[in-house]
Amino acid sequence: MIPLRRFLHTPEAIAGAILLTALFAMALSASLLFPGDPQAIAGPALLPPFQDWSLPLGTDRLGRDVLAELFHGARTSLAVGLAAAAAALAVGAVVGTLAGFAGGLVDEMLMRTTDAFQTVPSFLLALAFVSVVGPSLGVVVIAIALGTWTGPARVARAEVLSIRERDYVASARAVGMHPLEIAFREVLPNALPPVLAMSSVIVAAAILTEAALSFLGLGDPNRVTWGGMISEGRAVLRTAPFLSIVPGIALVLTVLGIYLAGEGIVETTAVRRGLS
Amino acid sequence: MSGRTEGGTRARRFCSSSRAADAPMTRALALLRRRLVGSVFVLLIVVIGTFLLLEAAPGDAVDAYIVSTGGDAGMIELLRHRWGLDQSELARLANYLWALLHLDLGQSVTFSRPIRDVILERLPNTLLLMVSATALSFGLGSALGIYAGARPGSLRDRFLSIGSLALYAVPGFWLGLALIIVFAVGLRWLPIGGIETLASDKTGLDRAADIGIHLVLPVSALGFIYLALYLRMMRAGMAEVWRQDFVLAVRARGLSRRRIVLAHVARNALLPLVTMLGLQSAQMLGGSVVIESVFSVPGLGRLAQEAVASRDTPLLLGIILVSAVLVIAINLLVDIAYAFLDPRVGASEAGA
Amino acid sequence: MSGFTISRRKMLAGSAMLLASTAMPISGWAQTPKKGGRLVLAADSEPRNLNPAIVASNGVFFISSKIVETLAEASFDGKDGLAPRLAVSWEGAPDGLSATFKLRDGVKWHDGKPFTSADVAFSALHIWKPLQNLGRTVFKDLAAVDTPDDLTAVFKFAKPTPFQLIRNALPALSSVVPKHIYEVGKIEDNPANNAPIGTGPFKFDEYKPGQYYRLTKNTDYWGKDEPYLDEIIYQVLPDRTSAASALEAGEIQLAAFSAVPLADLDRISKVPGLKVITKGYEGLTYQLVVEINHRRKELADLKVRQAIAHAIDKDFVVKTVFLGYAATATGPVPKNDPQFYTANVPTYPFDVAKANALLDEAGYKKGADGKRFSLKLLPAPYFNETKQFGDYLRQALAAIGIDAQLVNNDSAAHIKAVYTDHAFDLAVGPPVFRGDPAISTTILMQSGIPDGVPFSNQGGYKNDALDALITKASETLDTSARTDLYKEFQKEVAADLPLINVAEWSFISVARDTVGNIANNPRWAVSNWADTYLES
Repeated sequence: MIPLRRFLHTPEAIAGAILLTALFAMALSASLLFPGDPQAIAGPALLPPFQDWSLPLGTDRLGRDVLAELFHGARTSLAVGLAAAAAALAVGAVVGTLAGFAGGLVDEMLMRTTDAFQTVPSFLLALAFVSVVGPSLGVVVIAIALGTWTGPARVARAEVLSIRERDYVASARAVGMHPLEIAFREVLPNALPPVLAMSSVIVAAAILTEAALSFLGLGDPNRVTWGGMISEGRAVLRTAPFLSIVPGIALVLTVLGIYLAGEGIVETTAVRRGLS
Repeated sequence: MSGRTEGGTRARRFCSSSRAADAPMTRALALLRRRLVGSVFVLLIVVIGTFLLLEAAPGDAVDAYIVSTGGDAGMIELLRHRWGLDQSELARLANYLWALLHLDLGQSVTFSRPIRDVILERLPNTLLLMVSATALSFGLGSALGIYAGARPGSLRDRFLSIGSLALYAVPGFWLGLALIIVFAVGLRWLPIGGIETLASDKTGLDRAADIGIHLVLPVSALGFIYLALYLRMMRAGMAEVWRQDFVLAVRARGLSRRRIVLAHVARNALLPLVTMLGLQSAQMLGGSVVIESVFSVPGLGRLAQEAVASRDTPLLLGIILVSAVLVIAINLLVDIAYAFLDPRVGASEAGA
Repeated sequence: MSGFTISRRKMLAGSAMLLASTAMPISGWAQTPKKGGRLVLAADSEPRNLNPAIVASNGVFFISSKIVETLAEASFDGKDGLAPRLAVSWEGAPDGLSATFKLRDGVKWHDGKPFTSADVAFSALHIWKPLQNLGRTVFKDLAAVDTPDDLTAVFKFAKPTPFQLIRNALPALSSVVPKHIYEVGKIEDNPANNAPIGTGPFKFDEYKPGQYYRLTKNTDYWGKDEPYLDEIIYQVLPDRTSAASALEAGEIQLAAFSAVPLADLDRISKVPGLKVITKGYEGLTYQLVVEINHRRKELADLKVRQAIAHAIDKDFVVKTVFLGYAATATGPVPKNDPQFYTANVPTYPFDVAKANALLDEAGYKKGADGKRFSLKLLPAPYFNETKQFGDYLRQALAAIGIDAQLVNNDSAAHIKAVYTDHAFDLAVGPPVFRGDPAISTTILMQSGIPDGVPFSNQGGYKNDALDALITKASETLDTSARTDLYKEFQKEVAADLPLINVAEWSFISVARDTVGNIANNPRWAVSNWADTYLES
């Protein structure tokens, strides 16, 4: 593990760590602090913040508790971000490893497919995919992953290309290991670190993409997400701006926190690798 | 938007992959040949993939159409027949590809006009938006990046870097709506949307100025988001160059700091940004979907969104095809330019 | 102008019933109309086919009703709620086999050719009956149109057709297009479908996709001194928040069809220079209904449907979802309909305890987790309000132990899921009441409709008594007997609940104070605007 102190060597990383800790705390405490359905109607509609202390952040168009939605939304946003990043990294790593390790026709086909995905604007792809399959949280996660797996795939392939000629791979070949086994047991684990370094950027982008999809009306209505809250608040943007501003700020701080913390980790690892 | 991951990762690929050390011209030609052959396959995958995706969609163009009209069973059958939706999927795909071979994009179901015309009408607006936004984010981003990177770790460096990152974290539609409320509704300095004054019959410079004024807000909304990308890349690139031997050498020669920053450090750090320009083109197009909708810009992004909603498969195929060709062409240009521009041919780059 | 003043007063009285809370009434209506000016207004969608004779929908009418006119228009004070347009009088034969229309003299098409009965005959026989979305039902028995002279058209029906139905259908279904333009080639491919030619006060000028439609004044219009405006520009504003901003920034002068979200009306009514108008849509009533899939065994049980009806707090829906700009519904005919509505039907007051008791009685006891059973709920995506009601309904059902999972589809997918695939348990829909239950209302409960027909009974509901009633009403020629049958129909629907009517709403306009003669008929937004003017 990376020593925590080295990670926290810049104010940016500290800020990122604080933001992320707060986010995780919100997500984990959501059901404890706000048990029950956060979408239940809790009071009069469009109650402004700081009016009623049982509903500190006020209520939305239907009278749902904004604070409860915010906490539960942290959970969904985080889940969407992490799941999409995990999916993108997994697919990317597998495709990249296969392409890099197999070479030849397989490489060519996989990389042209990667090109194809990269040629189509990923947001457009996500939009079309969600429209087609129908918006639910899982579909949104897949849609985001569809547009983001290409980056990890290219990085993984580049790593694999440099690893596959190394001694331990040659010796694995020599003892007659199955090529796929070599690819996934010997090569992939060593190609992973630079791929994983991309995860913070993907998590952040996934959260933003979910928000943009919700903005266009393609969110999961059974779950609270910050994007969905902003999208609902948009109809009353001028009369009740807090409904868009509160989840908007949460979104910006989260994404910022993820970027900053991610950068801190990458820098720390870079320093460590440089030293070793 | 989601576009924000792509650039960074692919740019990194370019930085880490080694390049052949032959002459620029030969490299450029080889690149061109390889790319053209590859592009055909890429486009074929894009077309077939998009077609299959839309075919899997629940509801077809007729379902989307009758939302606003209603109609009985006979009318629906009539419409399906007229729009060719009663043919099999395979037949329609074959017809489409056959027409495409003749460079015919087909007829839009919802516009009942040739898709080429529909797209050509919108393409200039989107290009204008994208080019201006790119110019803004690249120009201002790299300038601020140089300013910040000139003194790594300084207060201004930290401030600019976090400030731009915060902008990067703002959802595009949110920034757009905020700009409208402040500058169009509140201050009334700028129009709330559209590409030009409606039915104004302006021509020549007047019209250009009119379009310029209308573009200020959407270009800002799109451009400021990606500002951070170039700023931070420039900054990071400069930090790397600072550490390199040749900078130490010029520093030892006693050149002024300003001279060193501009002539040596920034110049060398600029190259990856050029690559990024090409890579970002596809993502700008994605980002413009939302921005065009918020600012009522009649562009390709909005058209694509409408095509999905109205299940106009041939129209969406046309848009995706055109944008794919555009993206491939831009990247090709960037790579060729790179082949000529890169002063550090060969081994020295591999270490970067 | 005196006629106009009367209509205004009557209109206020008539609509107070539908909309209890109304914003600012119109100012400046007593002024003399001014000539000239360009009216810029918001359009949120871009209909591709602008021929109202083929596509009878509000989206198309919004633009093309200024260009192509109908035989008659809806009116607050006219006989049978109609005002003459291209027809000056109409009469149905007692046997229901013919209807005679006397046409207006001296009317010219925009290309200068005279308008005659041949145009009416052509439009009716070759477009309304075979091609028009609504005309295919109403004019299905139209056999011929005789034209004894240039100004008389006699519709001949193969089967007796109630004249009340034809009359009620006139404002929406009788757009007349020129025969000499349409008789050559395929009607559906005629270029005039995208650049309509009519007799109306405005001519189609240009359409810039994604930007605007421009209509210009028809200087040869038959109405004396009309139209007042020189130009109408429809600015395409796809984003739902932009119309309010554009009004405030002074870029547009009018936003009709609730282009300004309901939640914004209170604020915008206080902006100086802007007025909120709740009138002018009385003839375009939308109904908020819960569509029910009777194939689900739980929902086939009347007690369960009654329980759901009791679980919905209609007052809350009107107050919160519609912010008061709606009325609670009692049955399938809206309260503001002057001809057919009856309040004498079974009602379902909001009563959670009773709903729970009914469900227990039906044998669906609460499980250990407090749930009785799960349902798939599909709110139609076309309106913010249908989606919001979906969110509310999910909570209302949770309160009686029914676990509803919302499915959020786009329009095409929703239409397919509900009306073709029947992949729903409950759906929220906004059917339109078009002035006569036979046009688009009875189809929501009638059985035997083929799969795939939108806005029809696709929930597998079958009630022989109700079917018989619907058939009988459609064949009854006597107006009062026919009206009585539709009252009985309302009672039966409210009793057996093939679907649940929750609320009725219409649209709201927001305009600059300078726009005059707004909302002076029950279909104002989709009427011809010949008398609309701008003060400065």
